[in-house]
Amino acid sequence: MAQVEAAVQATEAKKGSGDKVDFKMITFSLAGKEYGIDIMSVKEIAKAGRFTYVPNAAPFVRGVYNLRGDIISVIDLRTFFHLPAERKAEDALESLLILRIDEHVFGVIVDAIDKVVGISSAGIQPPHPIFGDINVKYIKGIVENSGKLYIILDVEKIFAPAREEEEPRPEVLKVAKAAAMEEAPRSAAREGEDMAASFIREALAALKGFHVSTVNETWFNRRHSEWKASKPGDAQIREAGEAEAFLQDFWSPSSGALWEADFVEAVKQVLPDNESKNINVWNPGCGKGHETWSLSIALKQRYPEARVKVWANDSDLLAISMAPNMVFPDNLPEIYGPYLSRGRNGLSFIQQVRDSVFFEFHDVLNASPLPPLDLIVCRDLLSLLSVSDQNRLLDDFGDKLKPSGVLLLGANERPGPGWSLLGSGTVSAYRKE
Amino acid sequence: MRVEYINPFVESAFNVLKEVLQGDVHRGELYLKSTSMPVMGVAAIVGLAGDVEGRVLFDMDKPTALKIASAMNGEELNSLDDLVKATITELANMITAQSVTKLHDLGFRFDLTPPAIFTGENMEISDHDVEALIVPMQTPQGKIEINVAIRERS
Repeated sequence: MAQVEAAVQATEAKKGSGDKVDFKMITFSLAGKEYGIDIMSVKEIAKAGRFTYVPNAAPFVRGVYNLRGDIISVIDLRTFFHLPAERKAEDALESLLILRIDEHVFGVIVDAIDKVVGISSAGIQPPHPIFGDINVKYIKGIVENSGKLYIILDVEKIFAPAREEEEPRPEVLKVAKAAAMEEAPRSAAREGEDMAASFIREALAALKGFHVSTVNETWFNRRHSEWKASKPGDAQIREAGEAEAFLQDFWSPSSGALWEADFVEAVKQVLPDNESKNINVWNPGCGKGHETWSLSIALKQRYPEARVKVWANDSDLLAISMAPNMVFPDNLPEIYGPYLSRGRNGLSFIQQVRDSVFFEFHDVLNASPLPPLDLIVCRDLLSLLSVSDQNRLLDDFGDKLKPSGVLLLGANERPGPGWSLLGSGTVSAYRKE
Repeated sequence: MRVEYINPFVESAFNVLKEVLQGDVHRGELYLKSTSMPVMGVAAIVGLAGDVEGRVLFDMDKPTALKIASAMNGEELNSLDDLVKATITELANMITAQSVTKLHDLGFRFDLTPPAIFTGENMEISDHDVEALIVPMQTPQGKIEINVAIRERS
């Protein structure tokens, strides 16, 4: 016994660490980087191929696989993290880690499985927020072993929400939302806002469906003090006309019309370089579609090499049903000239532009099946949703955007904590922190 | 659902119903739904594949189904027998096929699956991830709800 202990101590001393090995992980590579998963969640490793395709599944689900009689779902971790993956031949074998999380068993496809590495859990360092490729919330930590850095993935976090109908997360969100909602009136009180402001908030919600929240509070507070100053004595809002007057400077520039050249230029400048061949864009609340057409022109000029796809939705059937076949008057800003052609009814966009835009009759509050997105343009829509829907949609945006993706809101809208402003602020463009 | 798909379905439903029932057909207000919805008693379903994936569901109550089948066959039918089921299935097929033909002319390639019919009490259909467009149609024989859920293959 003593001999064994001595031997163990000797090996540890040889490693030069002196720490106890109390954490073992299976290491593997994804897109050339090294990763690890706690060995306790790994049931086995395997080589497998010919997965059975499942229609309607998320893009990262490669299919199901028959593991000695048990049907397990197979997830491609590279697609899940938007990493480049080599497309293998139809019947080629993939390296598969079989994981067990609670009672669920999954297969996970990785580039190559390396070995088992034992480390001391004291040596695991917390993930750094700039860890690029993979969303920090899925990383348990980083550890160094024999000259290599391993990123340890938190498999429970990766699979728990997707498997369990996202139950744990909404719980957390609800708490966060409740906190946010409580905070709003309190901060308002701090600024000496009186009862009048809350009456105005209610009137705006009732008359125009405009909900004041963290999204537009900065604007609201400024506008409210202006409003009070302009109407001494009676600053209340009693009818729709007054609510409209209150909101008149809220709306973003070029609402309901094609964007002016300088706004197109500002949007182009704020968009980051993107080498991807496909650029996916979502434009919820596109109304009659002017914004979507301008956006697709801006994207065409910004990313001339890429294939741009814009999904534009609105829940107003009358507005959106005219969008795909919209005709324009002659006096358009010059930048649109090269993209227009004259048809029987008037000017309209050329086929090449039309092919990149999909107009959909769709309610954003229902599930929106979309691929991972590079850009979301959602101007002046959030403010017209109830506060809880605003938060839900913002979470949805965060989940759907790629790590480098950009969210563009209305001129007077802010996405709140967790997002950072891009550029100088002429365009409300944000990126997830 | 893409805007371009809506009109072909609405128009075909209107034209086919008007033609086979020889009466006044009115279209109700279109709307979107994504919760589970009750099925009125008789539901014919046609699947779509091709550029898109989805399904079209024709939903009506039993008396309406009997009256429509009677009108289409030119005889009084009083029980939900094979003839009635075959007639309703055929109606679903006619409407969907005409829509798909119209869509084909616009450049969208869809395929149809053979229609199936469900009958029973207290049925409900739920597919939470898919949003459905509801096209209510009022015919002299009663109300038919056409429930179209299509999405682009990604």
